[in-house]
Amino acid sequence: MLNLFQLVLQIAVILVAARLVGFLFQKINQPQVVGEMVAGILLGPSLLGWLAPHVSAALFPPSSLSYLNALSQVGLVVFMFVVGLALNPSELRGYGHAAVLTSHVSIVAPFCLGGLTALYLYPRLSDDGVSFTGFALFMGSAMSITAFPVLARILSERGMVRSRIGTMAIACAAVDDVTGWCILAYIVVLVRVTHSGRPAWVTIAGSIAYVAIMLFVVRRFLPAFEGAFRKADSLSDNLVAVVVVLVLVSALATEWLGIHLLFGAFLMGAIMPKTPEFTRYLLHKFESVTVVLLLPLFFAFTGLRTRIGVGGGRSIWLYSAIVIVVAITGKLGGSMFAGRLAGTSWREAAALGILMNTRGLMELVILNIGLDIGVISPAMFSIMVLMALVTTFMTTPLLEWVYPKRLQMQQAGETHQQVA
Amino acid sequence: MAAYLVLVGAPVLGLLGILEAGRAIAAPVSVGGEWKIEPDSAVSCADVPAGMSISQSGAYALITLKDGETMDGAVSGATLSGKSLQASIAGNAAGRTLQGTMRLNRCGLIAFRAARQPRKQGE
Repeated sequence: MLNLFQLVLQIAVILVAARLVGFLFQKINQPQVVGEMVAGILLGPSLLGWLAPHVSAALFPPSSLSYLNALSQVGLVVFMFVVGLALNPSELRGYGHAAVLTSHVSIVAPFCLGGLTALYLYPRLSDDGVSFTGFALFMGSAMSITAFPVLARILSERGMVRSRIGTMAIACAAVDDVTGWCILAYIVVLVRVTHSGRPAWVTIAGSIAYVAIMLFVVRRFLPAFEGAFRKADSLSDNLVAVVVVLVLVSALATEWLGIHLLFGAFLMGAIMPKTPEFTRYLLHKFESVTVVLLLPLFFAFTGLRTRIGVGGGRSIWLYSAIVIVVAITGKLGGSMFAGRLAGTSWREAAALGILMNTRGLMELVILNIGLDIGVISPAMFSIMVLMALVTTFMTTPLLEWVYPKRLQMQQAGETHQQVA
Repeated sequence: MAAYLVLVGAPVLGLLGILEAGRAIAAPVSVGGEWKIEPDSAVSCADVPAGMSISQSGAYALITLKDGETMDGAVSGATLSGKSLQASIAGNAAGRTLQGTMRLNRCGLIAFRAARQPRKQGE
């Protein structure tokens, strides 16, 4: 039964922890979101449950977590809509083959290394209820993802959004995200079909029909929202509610098809009109509640499922080190190599690699899906969460070291002089 | 085009090779999930927990009985063993069962059977 007092207390504790740790992380030049991710881990068994097990058990009893999970899932649905909304295919224009090559190499390199690592980790951290193919493909896609929202925030905070490297990173991250989500959808179908007994063709044919309806039917009606926005410079509450309902219906359709709620929300955002003013307005409408209230709940729920160092004795630290090294080598190394091939200097290529190596909360979203469908074990989940934290945390200091702000401003000045 | 084939096509072929090689690798028997416990008919103790949940990572298993007691366990071949539990694993992934003994504080050593419960949609 729902214990309202406990739920409200949990939310209050989570929000205080998220804001406090986020504030401290900002003091060391990290994005607020990295601090919020860490706050979630601190509230879980890895710290609070280890230091004060009775406090942890009283505050977060296992029976109460389903409500926290439900709230965080609603937050994720809205968040994935926001991510899709921020995705703009026109950003790819002007990069042509170079962007496609760079982004595809930056996916394939970590994907292959992830698959290779799966050969070693599958017999050690998985079980025969999961096929090697499912495990390896999941490892590959989890290694190759880039946190588009965190990346955009880091670029914005450093004033790099319009720089050559910034725009290239955003374009590549957009391609990476779409590709990564498509692969993940395939893995979810692969795993769920095995367990549910529903014929695979139903899910596959249904998914194709769903995407076709979204792209060729629903998309045609969406400019009406933009038209209403232009007339009044805002959307009425009724129209905002219609947008929310569309997001929910799309999410429900993909969940019913056996993919996942989040794919539907993401696609709905991706096909919305992309006029900057309209996108900014919708982002502003949806972002505040999601980022301030609901995402910290997701981080806390993730933290409560994370048991760092548990599940394989001392070997777990070796496995963690392997995963972190492979993830960085594949993504940072692969993107850097591809960037260099696309004609950037070594320094710029390294900056691109560092930016693309940011996994952030998109990685946490994917890992939670993996744990929910049973394709990764709890220990593998914890290792990958640790990897997500390390790769996200290292972005800002490494970027400052390789591509300092003074150099960035100097290059911007030179470009300005050339233009003048 | 040539660069694309070398840098993207070749690794994709490599990945297909990895997936093929991985088919031969065996992982520990799956015991993770929710289990319904049925004590042996000869057991008269009324405090036998109705079920347990097992969180598995490779050969490691964290066993949590419905009464709250937890113990570390290990899967070795077709055997699950913990500090106070020893059971043989039978059946396939869809209908897995355990049969063995466990020592409970209030009942002593008891024989039991357990059947894994199917995963619910959305879990």
